[in-house]
Amino acid sequence: MKAKLNRETVVRSKLLWAVIAELLILLVGFIMRPDFLSVQLMTLADGSRVLFGTPIDILNRSAEITIIAMGMTLVIALGGTDLSVGALVAVSGAMALKFLRWDVLEYPTPGDYTVMPYFLVILVPLAVCTLMGAFNGLLISKLGMQPIIATLILMVAGRGIAQITTNGKQFTTMYTPFQQIAQGYFLKLPMPIIITAVVILGVALFTRKTSYGMFVESVGVNPNASRVSGLQSSRIILIAFMITGFLSGISGLIYSSRISSCDSNNAGINNEMNAILAVVIGGTSMSGGKFSLTGTVIGSLIIQTIVTLVYFFGVVSEAIMAFEAMIIAVVIVLQSEPVRKFFASRKRSRASATGGAVRA
Amino acid sequence: MLKAEPRRQSALTRIFNPKYIMVYATLGVFLVIYLFGALMYGDKGFTTLRTLTLMFSDNAYVGVSAVGMTMVLITGGIDLSVAAVASLTGMFVAYGVTVLGLDPWVCVLFSLAVGTALGLVMGAAIHYLNVPPFITTLTGMFMARGVCALISRESISIDNPTIDYLAGLKWYIMRLQDGEWVKLKPVAYINLSVLIFIAMIIIGTIILQKTRFGRNVYAIGGNEQSARLMGLPVARTKVLVYGFNGLCSVLSGIAYALYVKSGWNLALQGSELDVISCCVIGGVMLSGGVGYMQGMLLGVLLKATIPAIITFNGTMNSWWAKIFTGLLLLLFIIIQRVVVASSDRAKKTE
Amino acid sequence: MCLSNDVLLKMTGMEIEFPGVKALDGVDFTLRRGEIHALLGENGAGKSTLIKCLTGVHRMDAGSIVLDGQSIRLTSPQDAQRLGISTVYQEVNLCPNLTVAENIFIGRQPMRRGGIDWKTINARSSELMRRMGMDIDVTLPLSGYSIAVQQMVSIARAVDINAKVLILDEPTSSLDDNEVRRLFDVMRELKKQGMGIIFITHFLNQVFEVCDRITVLRNGHLVNEWGITDISRLDLVTSMIGKDMNEIYNLKKAEQRGDAPVVLAASGLGVPGKVESISLDVREGELVGFAGLLGSGRTETAEMLFCVQRPARGSVSMRGKPVGARIPLDSIKRRMAFCPEDRKRDGIVADLSIRENIVLAVQATRGFMKPMSMAEQQELADKYIRLLSIATPDAEKKVGELSGGNQQKVILARWMATQPDLLILDEPTRGIDVGAKAEIQRLMLDMCRQGMSIIFISSELDEIIRCSNRIIVMRDLQKAAELDGEGCDQSAILSIIADEETGREAV
Repeated sequence: MKAKLNRETVVRSKLLWAVIAELLILLVGFIMRPDFLSVQLMTLADGSRVLFGTPIDILNRSAEITIIAMGMTLVIALGGTDLSVGALVAVSGAMALKFLRWDVLEYPTPGDYTVMPYFLVILVPLAVCTLMGAFNGLLISKLGMQPIIATLILMVAGRGIAQITTNGKQFTTMYTPFQQIAQGYFLKLPMPIIITAVVILGVALFTRKTSYGMFVESVGVNPNASRVSGLQSSRIILIAFMITGFLSGISGLIYSSRISSCDSNNAGINNEMNAILAVVIGGTSMSGGKFSLTGTVIGSLIIQTIVTLVYFFGVVSEAIMAFEAMIIAVVIVLQSEPVRKFFASRKRSRASATGGAVRA
Repeated sequence: MLKAEPRRQSALTRIFNPKYIMVYATLGVFLVIYLFGALMYGDKGFTTLRTLTLMFSDNAYVGVSAVGMTMVLITGGIDLSVAAVASLTGMFVAYGVTVLGLDPWVCVLFSLAVGTALGLVMGAAIHYLNVPPFITTLTGMFMARGVCALISRESISIDNPTIDYLAGLKWYIMRLQDGEWVKLKPVAYINLSVLIFIAMIIIGTIILQKTRFGRNVYAIGGNEQSARLMGLPVARTKVLVYGFNGLCSVLSGIAYALYVKSGWNLALQGSELDVISCCVIGGVMLSGGVGYMQGMLLGVLLKATIPAIITFNGTMNSWWAKIFTGLLLLLFIIIQRVVVASSDRAKKTE
Repeated sequence: MCLSNDVLLKMTGMEIEFPGVKALDGVDFTLRRGEIHALLGENGAGKSTLIKCLTGVHRMDAGSIVLDGQSIRLTSPQDAQRLGISTVYQEVNLCPNLTVAENIFIGRQPMRRGGIDWKTINARSSELMRRMGMDIDVTLPLSGYSIAVQQMVSIARAVDINAKVLILDEPTSSLDDNEVRRLFDVMRELKKQGMGIIFITHFLNQVFEVCDRITVLRNGHLVNEWGITDISRLDLVTSMIGKDMNEIYNLKKAEQRGDAPVVLAASGLGVPGKVESISLDVREGELVGFAGLLGSGRTETAEMLFCVQRPARGSVSMRGKPVGARIPLDSIKRRMAFCPEDRKRDGIVADLSIRENIVLAVQATRGFMKPMSMAEQQELADKYIRLLSIATPDAEKKVGELSGGNQQKVILARWMATQPDLLILDEPTRGIDVGAKAEIQRLMLDMCRQGMSIIFISSELDEIIRCSNRIIVMRDLQKAAELDGEGCDQSAILSIIADEETGREAV
């Protein structure tokens, strides 16, 4: 136990700030509105009983960002960024709705039907997004482009592709299986929470049960040493971007299911920013290295909790960004190098005053 | 080799200095696309001066912001807050003038102060706290958008004689006919936004090429460590560059407010990317150290040509513009890679 | 030779300590007006640390610097420059995106009518460069020119600043003969003007050609200062390399059977400008030592063998099969292993744990989809922690927090875990304490006895002689000699290293 603490000191201390921030925000919410933390069972129209309450709502609403942020964590741990995720969300939604409705002229009214087989509705968007992720990954690993520039291409072009898929129209659907993705319940919980849990578990297993996570961290910390030790960084980078693309696709399906429609203009807007913030608040450094999936989940929750809390005060939704910005600014300043060094040096001077360092 | 080509400085070598190669690439692609438009839609009036001036006035606000962005990118940084600050400026002016009944000039001055201050603060955080520019300016963007929405979520239209006068300012392009100056047909004119754009391009060029500050900007982008070792004021330069960019964002917001005559918190959503795209297409390298205002100007024009062609085509979905912009970005990034790689090779074989 | 005794710069009792290492320990250094003073020493001797104290990069713990009779305190590179101390680094510290002229004048451009006076800048730069014998177009970006030209631009900048002290930190390592000669002319010219020049180099013939005085450092201590005529080349090399004064452990060389099969065969390996054509064979259980000064091509040879740097020509085969490596992974799969010279840059992954660092290379050969179980990893890590006696409470400690010697052992463990046939060790004992040094030497010999072949690169002749079955001496980017390890003595190798009558060939 002691060893574990020692090993991840830096990540943990950043994580600690994030957890404290989340708890403080929750506390503020609780003081302002005592029902902020309450969860109750509620009976739905069809007689099933489901959980209901602000915490459930926070988890539900944070699903899109959390899912993307899982992939973004890997990309950032490698020292990169992916700006295209928001655009991929739009592509995924547009593709799904295109397959559900195919041609609005032939199927003029939305209804409980799908034109193309349902499995295509799900699989094609995911495949396309994974391929787009692979495109990003290849530009970066094979052509050696900076991640910010390489992913900027799809960030700009992606929404165009989404619009063209649906010919610029906003399709709506009433197809029940599709609506269930975001609006259904499973185990008394909203479906997005379940999907998010599965994604978190999947990414955690993939990174920690195989050696992929270690390879990502190794390349992120020291690409030179990793190369000499036989790691193939181009393959590792490619996989990280493909995962991020795939997860953006899932996030896009959830979003379009939530609104039963595709909205290429607004789907996934600022998702890239929020996902990156979630990762950074969660303690993974933008310069790459050790990553913490738990931290990312907490980071994403912080963002969504602030949003929910500020809603409670009746602040208009867009103004939430100002509060978000302030809290994020505080967290980032606390995590910044000079500030951490300052705290560390104070700690060290106390330690050396009491005993002095022991040389191994 | 030491006796590397005893080249004399002729006018020719000065013009074809390899440091301008990216600007020429942009110019070349612009000419090709413009020529394509001219051949396809010349009969519909694509080549008229009117189309060209419209391309200018429709994109002036992007261009003004790109002046500051070019400088930030040359230092090797990035600023994502520009569109949000521009939108905030529009809101300040609209709210101040329409709701509070203030003098528009007061609002403009206030916006300039706020925008520049925000830029300076972000610059300081980037330099002294060592927070990545991406994250710092992202936070700045959230802040500006949030404050904007706090002021009002509704779009506020600006109804003020001064603003109307400024927005209505037009300088028609005349030609001499039978000894008399007459308006060109179809009419072409320049408005205040375009004038601001042109003025900022000139100011930006002077700063970059004619002042020590400007040259320090390039030096930092080339190699920050070296710049420090050569004794250049790195901290001051970096902070001021972000401050100047804040100023440009505000001016861009004013140009946009004159264009739409309203303030709205969702205005210019995602337009920071248009600004960055214009710079990249114009040969400004995101890795820092390379870029010219003239190139950026061409980048703005090139990016404006695509929607123009799509409009003239009439049958194409306007969303193709986004895809073509993406392709253009890809093209220019590959050109940049090739240029860098070939200059590396040239050095090695020397 | 007329030496002025007009002291320009005097550093006394310089001391600086980094975590775990005393980088400088009471070093004195004196520079006189109008002299070129060579500062020599192998890696880790403290040359660059001393220079960095003088340029304001490092803060010294003790000691004083007197320039022109005045005691000075340096806190930043700007301070040093203001006082007239200019430095030309080995890695050119200029801005590649700016023109040659601008690099000379940036930060102090002449102004005219409110703007930068480009005409004057270009004209004066052109003139400056011409005076240094370089007729080049100064309006082109610096990145388009060779390192030699860039080096000259650095010097031009330093000269134009009106420096009193000019520090040249290995300026010649990438120059050819003509370029070096040109540089020397410039140095002599500056000397005549009364400038004091500190010249750091690894090429001894250059020292004897241009310098007036020599100061040698070793392991952070001052060895001595000589006038150029007072010391022979051989004595100089001996003083730099020194004898390992430490307790010599009772080491026994592994016996080499003459009929052992050849493990590694390399022929005609080379990269233009780095290493000329190199061929060598290594037999099973053999320890081949590489001797030579820094920059002689020994590290580059190792990097080519392992394909860290892809050789431009030549071939490598392991046990008769061509390796044909494109990336290091291919070499690892052919049972090669490589401990790089720069431990921090190419060796350790500082933020990962000891366990992760040890399993890294093994895992790389298996691919990430076939992970070793946690139990296997721990077992492997514990085994090597015990075997190499790595001083750590447990395998989960971050490698970055270990001392240098233990970090080196972790890298060694990483490669031993892959059970290689051939292990290439580049300076495995540099910068680590005496105890760890002896342990690593003993380990190498043990491994040889068990049939592993080792290529061992070191700057310390003692340990090479003590451990090697065969010694390859590198000089001027090529193999200068191959000696039998038995009965080989230091003076024989030293004279091969020091002998430079052939001169350095143009690259």
